[in-house]
Amino acid sequence: MNPTADQPIGRDEFDTPAEVDAVFRTQRRIAVAHFVVFFAGLLSIPAVTLLTGWSSENWVAQSATGFVAIGAGLYLFFFLLGMAAASLATGVEHRMLGTPTDADAAEPEP
Amino acid sequence: MSRSAGLLATVVAAAWILLYVAMHVIVDPPLHTGVIIALGLAVTTALILGFPSTLRGPRDPLTTTGRGRLLRQRAPGAQSTSVAVFGRDLPLRSGLTPEAAERTVRLLRPVLAGDAVAITDTEWVLAFVGPGSDHHRSGHQPTTAATRAVLAGGRTKVLRAREELGCSDPTCPLRTAVVAPLLVADRVVGTLKVYRIDETPPARQPVQDLASILSLHLELAEADRERQLAADARLNALRAQINPHFLFNVLNTIASKARTDPEDARRLLLRLGDFFRYSIRQDGQFADFAQEYFFVRTYVALEQARYGDSLAVRFDVDPQVLSVQVPVLIIQPLVENAIKHGLSEKVGGGTVSLKARVDPLSRTTLIQVRDDGVGMPEDLLDKVLSGNGPGGGIGLRNINQRLENLFGERYSMHVRSGHAKGTTVDLRLPLR
Amino acid sequence: MTVDLAALIATLAALTMLAMALAVRPRRASSIDFYLAGQRIGVMTNALAICGDYFSAASFLGVAAAVYISGLDGVWYAAGFAAGFVPVLLFVAAPLRRFGQFSLPDFLGRRLVSDRVRLVAVGVVQIIVLSYLIPQAVASGITWSLLVGSGVLGLDAYATGVVVATTTIAGLVAFGGMRGTTWTQALQFVLMMAVLVWLAAVVLGDGFSYTGAVAELSRAPLRNPVLVDGQWQLQPVVSALQSDAPARFDEPGARYSVLGQTMLLITLMLGTAGLPHVMNRYFTSPTGRGARRTTVWVLCAAGVFYMLAVMLGTAARSVIEQVADTTPWLADLTVDGVLRIPEHAMLTLGRLSAGQAGLATIAIAALVAVISTMAGLLLAAAASWGHDTFAGVVNRRATQEQVVLAGRLAVVGTAAVAAVAALQLEPASLSALFPSAVATMVTWAFAVAGSALTPVIILSIWWRRMTAAGAVAGLVVGSATAITMFLMALLRPDWSVATLLLTPTPVAAPCAIVAAIVVSLRTEVPVDLPELWVRLHGTAADRAAERLARLTIRGVEPHQPASGELRVEGTGRRS
Repeated sequence: MNPTADQPIGRDEFDTPAEVDAVFRTQRRIAVAHFVVFFAGLLSIPAVTLLTGWSSENWVAQSATGFVAIGAGLYLFFFLLGMAAASLATGVEHRMLGTPTDADAAEPEP
Repeated sequence: MSRSAGLLATVVAAAWILLYVAMHVIVDPPLHTGVIIALGLAVTTALILGFPSTLRGPRDPLTTTGRGRLLRQRAPGAQSTSVAVFGRDLPLRSGLTPEAAERTVRLLRPVLAGDAVAITDTEWVLAFVGPGSDHHRSGHQPTTAATRAVLAGGRTKVLRAREELGCSDPTCPLRTAVVAPLLVADRVVGTLKVYRIDETPPARQPVQDLASILSLHLELAEADRERQLAADARLNALRAQINPHFLFNVLNTIASKARTDPEDARRLLLRLGDFFRYSIRQDGQFADFAQEYFFVRTYVALEQARYGDSLAVRFDVDPQVLSVQVPVLIIQPLVENAIKHGLSEKVGGGTVSLKARVDPLSRTTLIQVRDDGVGMPEDLLDKVLSGNGPGGGIGLRNINQRLENLFGERYSMHVRSGHAKGTTVDLRLPLR
Repeated sequence: MTVDLAALIATLAALTMLAMALAVRPRRASSIDFYLAGQRIGVMTNALAICGDYFSAASFLGVAAAVYISGLDGVWYAAGFAAGFVPVLLFVAAPLRRFGQFSLPDFLGRRLVSDRVRLVAVGVVQIIVLSYLIPQAVASGITWSLLVGSGVLGLDAYATGVVVATTTIAGLVAFGGMRGTTWTQALQFVLMMAVLVWLAAVVLGDGFSYTGAVAELSRAPLRNPVLVDGQWQLQPVVSALQSDAPARFDEPGARYSVLGQTMLLITLMLGTAGLPHVMNRYFTSPTGRGARRTTVWVLCAAGVFYMLAVMLGTAARSVIEQVADTTPWLADLTVDGVLRIPEHAMLTLGRLSAGQAGLATIAIAALVAVISTMAGLLLAAAASWGHDTFAGVVNRRATQEQVVLAGRLAVVGTAAVAAVAALQLEPASLSALFPSAVATMVTWAFAVAGSALTPVIILSIWWRRMTAAGAVAGLVVGSATAITMFLMALLRPDWSVATLLLTPTPVAAPCAIVAAIVVSLRTEVPVDLPELWVRLHGTAADRAAERLARLTIRGVEPHQPASGELRVEGTGRRS
């Protein structure tokens, strides 16, 4: 359960502190940016509701817009945001650490 | 956030506020909320899509599709019987120089149905042969005012009257002319001018055809030069990297670690292998930033093993930059220079930082390499820029030249250095 | 229950289990499969297991109950629960896995190289575990009373449910029966999901129109049962947004003001990253990358789950209103067509849709939800007492038996405390105070987790300068603030800010962060920080694991170069 305690096998995989520091900074930027988008999106619904009161206007067939937005759309938003963040983070890791010749297999899926 | 993103955000916010005020204060009764939101979204979309082009400034007339149209206007198989096929012997193959222009002009004069022939570049007349050569002289500014128009507009002009020629000398025998631009990849680099002393201007088509042949040769000349420079760069890179100094130092470091920390020594050897493997790859002019970054960090790992704690390197890479295409072997030399400046003559160690950003709104890639060394005085800066700086390596001049060949005017490189304030190299490249 | 009903349930359960067992069974060479990031089953199974741990009765019954009683405000509950995994994905999942320990206190203890941090974290974990356990016990009591209706040994139905559930699970966990292995939890979640999907299908098949029902329910102002002078009456709910207007089903304000809703959202959102039983599962992911993908799958499953739960809550409100008068057993539970105890909503809907079989199915699913979560929680408690406290600090040379004994004692003790607390809380009186008591109580667990553990964990991962003293300060300040705030709310429920005090994270978490930062800046970082940092943010171990897996799959022996020989990589390409 703790591979770091095991012996590295075959070619040594290692990261220098400078590389890790670089990846850390970039990942932090990605995480914070996505969190800001997530938080803003989450709070935008009550904000818009407050300011314009559109949630009770009937736009989507006969359902209240607010219900549809929060009851279904929001989960889609979380999932898509999560996918985007995960694939970006994995891509960054793949490109900023390790050697390019490592992956003669296809790039790892996000 | 980049400046342009901040500007865009401000403009969009201002637009929404304006919309809100307009809808609620001016319009009476206030419009349905849905309409306001739809309008706002439309305005925002228009702003976001239109913003980048605004930022780029008015379109460079030399790059308009007018150029393309011009090129396509040449009907295939037109009357070009008088145009011979010049092979490699055409002098312009070595570039647009006065000597080459002179020889070309003499070669062409019998072919073109004209009395006087001239070739200019963007500023000077390079060669002029025929009547009127007493005042239309090479080495001077073109006296034909129309030349400027062709240089700016990139389209062939037919001048049918003496007044249109705009020549200030009243004794000038030339009456009519055809002025055709010489193009290298959509950039106007000069003109080909054919004059006559009678009232019928020369035939337009043959002049244009010949101008396009000359343009082709000029393009080939540039490609040659580019290839040469790249080969030089690679050779230099190789030379620099297998510069005995560098190799000696790295191997020394590895040898000294071999007893105390054999694992570390092994890792350094692997990194050295990575380093060489990358520097001899031959895959064209551009590479992913991620790959160039790999090269840089491998190099840094080797240098840090040698210098230990006195060299601190900081990377600050935007995630979007990683998939951008940048010219090969551009960044590592900059970092190498920075390490040398940052550490030499300085006690207590130095810090080198590499920052890479993308600005999608103005479509530029920004790369900044900074060190906090003792800085360079003016004269040393000039020496380094010309490639004669201490420590060898690829001169900034070579980098500059390669970038100029690749991007023309669309890139910029600023080197700032202050005494005891370190050196900063700022590179702005077009986004690919 | 009749015979054919029992058979129906048994068949349903068996079929689902069989299907999932086929899908997630461990393959040949499964340990290598597990190492290979991107191997879908491994990641999927882990994701389902996390869901099994996370979706407790609060999600299964409580969300529907919240929607039932508060309309749109209840929908935000569900959104908050789902949203919690986004900060986990962004900030915690991959680094936590890469650092590789066994529990959250273990992680903090080793990252900051301090036993004091470990112990304080264990304390916070206990509080969270208890706060999460008590509502589960309450939910099992409610379910039992509705399913069986009568008690044993002189206890009333509710008490019987509580006692039976807690003792059974405590016994199972303490005596090593249910180890909470990944795929057992996964199966339990799949069962829950299957039941939810089934009920949704039945309800929709019965002619339920989601959009229509919402519109219909919102036409008249919202009215909920209130205990007035010992009598239950329906009274209109005053909107928390505009004090002169009544609340409606599809409008916000039935329960929370804007500030209250936002605070609730933040509390739930930050809480997930500090839940010990959920986060412990991340250490079983194969790689950091795998941990991220697991969380993405969790988000997907959570989305579907909560979408259905919200729909069913709405359906319950609409259907029960229509048939309350004509159904005798329902009349006992309702006041003028509205349930007195909102947690009955899902169970009642099940019974209305498919009779006793439906009720039994929902009840079983609810109990499964309770069981899987309680098991996870009790295991987390056992780990924190046995592994973290006893073996980690008190007696480093403890033998395996001693550690296991400590864990068992912890399990029994925790379960007992939870049961006693649950017995004190009668749901009927609770629902007067807090609509949807189960969901509200689970919020307390989230509040402590989000105010104390989440800020400290996130700071430890993303801030180099974090120190052990800072972590202790953060944990203490965060949990103390949170607990104080909702004790104040409990003691003075008539205060205007009482509702706000029940979701203290937006206040307590910043306090914890500030405390942690201030104290950290005055103290020293751990000595071997560079190595710790490389382990936390570098992917060397992941890459080694993936490489091994790739080589093994290809059937190639990993080449061990002889000493002094530099191995040339032949990839067939010019290099």
